[in-house]
Amino acid sequence: MSRLAAVLVACVSAHCAAAGIDVEVRDASGRPAPDVAVYAIPAGGGIEARPGKATAQIEQVDREFIPYLTVMQTGTTATFPNRDPILHHVYSFSPAKTFEIKLYTGKSPSSITFDKPGIVTLGCNIHDWMIAYVLVVSTPWFGKTDSAGVVKLRDLPVGSYAVHAWHPQERSPVEPVTVAPEAQSTVSARFTLDIAARKPKYKPPLDRLKY
Amino acid sequence: MPPAAPQARPAGRFPKLGRRIVVFFVALLVIVQGIAAFLVIQANSQVARRTINQQLEQGERVFRQLLAQNQARLEQGAGILSADFAFRQAIASNDTGTILSVLRNHGARVGANVMTLASLDNTVRADTLDPARLGTPFAFPDLVKAAASEGKSSSIVIRDGKLYQLVVVPVLAPEPIAWVGLAFEVDDAVAKDLHQLTGLEVTFASRVGPAQAWRLHASTLATALRPELAAELAASPALWAGNSGEISLGGEEYETRLAALEQRADKQVVAILQRPLAVGLAPFKRISVVFFWLTAAGLAVLVAGSLVIARGITRPVHRLADAARRVQQGDYTRHVDVEHRDEIGELAESFNHMLDGIVSREKEILRLAYEDGLSGLPNRAMFYEQLGQAVRIARRGGGNISVMLLDMDRFKAINDTLGHTVGDQALREVGARVRAALRDSDVVARLGGDEFGVLLATGDKEHAPLVVAEKIQRALEQPLVVGGQTMDVAASIGIARFPEHGEDADALLRAADVAMYEAKRTKTRYAVYSSSHDERRKEFLTMLGELRHAVEAGELELHFQPKMSLADERATSVEALVRWRHPKKGMVPPGDFIPFAEQTGYIGEITRWVLGRAIEQCGRWQANGSRVRMCVNVSARDLRQGEELVQFVAARLADAELAAGMLCLEITESALMEDPAIAQSTLRRLRELGVATSIDDYGTGYSSLAYIKQLAVNELKIDRGFVAGMEADQRNAAIVRSTIELGHNLGLTVVAEGVETEHELEELRRFGCDAAQGYLFARPMSAPAFERWLSGLRDEAGTRAGVAGA
Repeated sequence: MSRLAAVLVACVSAHCAAAGIDVEVRDASGRPAPDVAVYAIPAGGGIEARPGKATAQIEQVDREFIPYLTVMQTGTTATFPNRDPILHHVYSFSPAKTFEIKLYTGKSPSSITFDKPGIVTLGCNIHDWMIAYVLVVSTPWFGKTDSAGVVKLRDLPVGSYAVHAWHPQERSPVEPVTVAPEAQSTVSARFTLDIAARKPKYKPPLDRLKY
Repeated sequence: MPPAAPQARPAGRFPKLGRRIVVFFVALLVIVQGIAAFLVIQANSQVARRTINQQLEQGERVFRQLLAQNQARLEQGAGILSADFAFRQAIASNDTGTILSVLRNHGARVGANVMTLASLDNTVRADTLDPARLGTPFAFPDLVKAAASEGKSSSIVIRDGKLYQLVVVPVLAPEPIAWVGLAFEVDDAVAKDLHQLTGLEVTFASRVGPAQAWRLHASTLATALRPELAAELAASPALWAGNSGEISLGGEEYETRLAALEQRADKQVVAILQRPLAVGLAPFKRISVVFFWLTAAGLAVLVAGSLVIARGITRPVHRLADAARRVQQGDYTRHVDVEHRDEIGELAESFNHMLDGIVSREKEILRLAYEDGLSGLPNRAMFYEQLGQAVRIARRGGGNISVMLLDMDRFKAINDTLGHTVGDQALREVGARVRAALRDSDVVARLGGDEFGVLLATGDKEHAPLVVAEKIQRALEQPLVVGGQTMDVAASIGIARFPEHGEDADALLRAADVAMYEAKRTKTRYAVYSSSHDERRKEFLTMLGELRHAVEAGELELHFQPKMSLADERATSVEALVRWRHPKKGMVPPGDFIPFAEQTGYIGEITRWVLGRAIEQCGRWQANGSRVRMCVNVSARDLRQGEELVQFVAARLADAELAAGMLCLEITESALMEDPAIAQSTLRRLRELGVATSIDDYGTGYSSLAYIKQLAVNELKIDRGFVAGMEADQRNAAIVRSTIELGHNLGLTVVAEGVETEHELEELRRFGCDAAQGYLFARPMSAPAFERWLSGLRDEAGTRAGVAGA
């Protein structure tokens, strides 16, 4: 209970004095790195989402997971709607969340709550090339860089944060950057990530006879 | 000619020419075929090796492809396996037991022998073979690395001494969450599969370092051969150059090629591909075998063929050689058969012609060799031959044979006076008569000159040698008429009998010869050989020695017999007569040694001695006031010396300061007849010198007065035989008388010899004979005796009227 109370306090104070963190990520060659997950863990510890509140959706469109990378707070429940006319079999053997949704079409027969922080790699048992990453973080302040390699985290209570950046193809993890934004102000954090190119896996063409 | 001893044919006479032909052709074929065989075999072996190499190279390519396919198949299987959801789920479960069992289960599905699971950090999480590896680093990080980039990787690896095809694939979820290694053992079954596909012997071997021993993992070779192969591999570094090589295994050659599968310093894995050479060479062996039999058959045909050809050449040649050998042995009777109209046939024909030529020539040669051309009788050689044969037969059969030698008396006179043509005809006639007088079985031959030989083969009474000799003499009694001329002939016959007079032909002939001379000497017409004849001969020989000695030791001396001029009873000349005072025999009469000296030719020495002494004596007498002409006897032989004699006489006369006219040379009529031409010329030269000449013993020869007329002589001396016979036979007196008259008519002085009685002297005086010589006046005397006789004669002349003084 005391912990819950502390969160509430922080939240109130945050509303009062919302701070921001602007994060810019560049790749090893200095170009803006898009689709990099960025999240800020408060110095006081991680914060889980309240059960049932946060949801996420990872679709299967044209035999691909959309989006490729999903960042979500711990406790988020995700659904895996199938937009394709064929069946998919979504699974994860990642320790952060192991599950499988056996062959289905349309709305996923079950939703999955990601209750542990970590990286969850999603695959489809039918289509080997389909892959998606879910980064489960114990903080509500997270985002993905845009095409300019920038993500703006807002409405953070004043305090000290460890800002992390992660990319599925990063060659090595980067150290988190600690920032302490003032009230009504924004601090910047920069990251340089060595990101390998995503290896395209062979994707056979659609069997047109089916259509 | 006696037939030559048959020459032995060369022993073991194989047709040499034939052999050469066969050897040549066989050698030619063998050389050509040998070279061809060498080339063919070499080409074959090169082609075979190249073919085998190509097969091996091709085999290697197939092998590698198979290996790659196999690998791809394994990788694929591994990929499918690793993508299996349940498998991934089990792996993701992180439960070791589950993982092990799923590894085993799924490994069995693809036939992997060992399954290993490694975490992303290369730590072994499970191993179906060796639990001890759990937690250890995965042994093949390179493969993991390759698999990380390629999605899969594989390699030949050695694990626990076994050879594996190891495939490493990630376990995808869908990102790699682990590595799974699937190891497929490369065992004999794999090798066998590859063998069935490539047709090659396949062996997998490895070693952990260049100096290490090879270890064989799998092979299609028999188990027994494997250690041998391992050893051979170590011993054949040349194979590493990528070339093929030959390796002998269990006594069989294998063309071998190495296919390197792993080439690292600490790990070398090779596949050894082999093919037995014998298999590869088999087709070429077949070619060689066919070649060999072709050669053998060709050789056989060639030998047979060249033998036939060689026979065709050598057989007629041998026949020719045999025929030639027969000819060599004197058999001319057989001609060579001419079989073919080829070169050899021509040769045979020429040979036959040659044979005919030889036969006819040999006949002619024999005829010439054995026949006397003049008389047509056998010649000396033939006679000798037949005599020898008869002796041999007689020696075996014990028969007796007789040999006669017949020599014409004074035949030379016929030749000289009537000419050789007449002489030859006379000889022919004599030969014919003798031949006719004998049996056919007897042999009559002309031995040369006027000598004939007779061989009597049988010895019965009617045909006894003496009877036959008598028969021959009778046959010769009839005068010969040749060319219109009638002449008397006589012959002396010597007889020798086998075996008592000689054991062989030579001895018999010699004995007959001796007997013949005896007959001549004794004028008995024929004589049978007696050993005493030989003794006489010996005496002769002894005498020759003694006579020589006599001349040198002065045993000879001169005696002198005066010739009395009948007109005045004076000694006008004196005849020098030689006497031999033998130290043992005493006085030897001239008749005992002069004929001998004449026969032996020693007379020349004696004549010179006599001439020298006589001229010297004559000179002395002349110096003492006694002028008597010196008469010296010279023989026919002396006359033959010709100029030499003339010069000698001239020199002696000059020495003695004697006029040539004081010397008179007396020559017997028979001596003059022996060689009339030389006698004539010598006499003329003497006459020119001024020396007087006289014919001694006139009447004993057969010279006609016409012949005498031609001779440059001054004097005739009538033979004592006529003078002594005058009293008894008026015919002799008539001969003496007519001779004297004829001599006078020719302008010659006539001297009568051997006057012994007053009656004879009276007669001679009556006939008008110029001078006389004989015992009636004086015997031959020594020089002092003659001097005394001469002075006595002078004294007597002084007292007796009618006798002229000196």
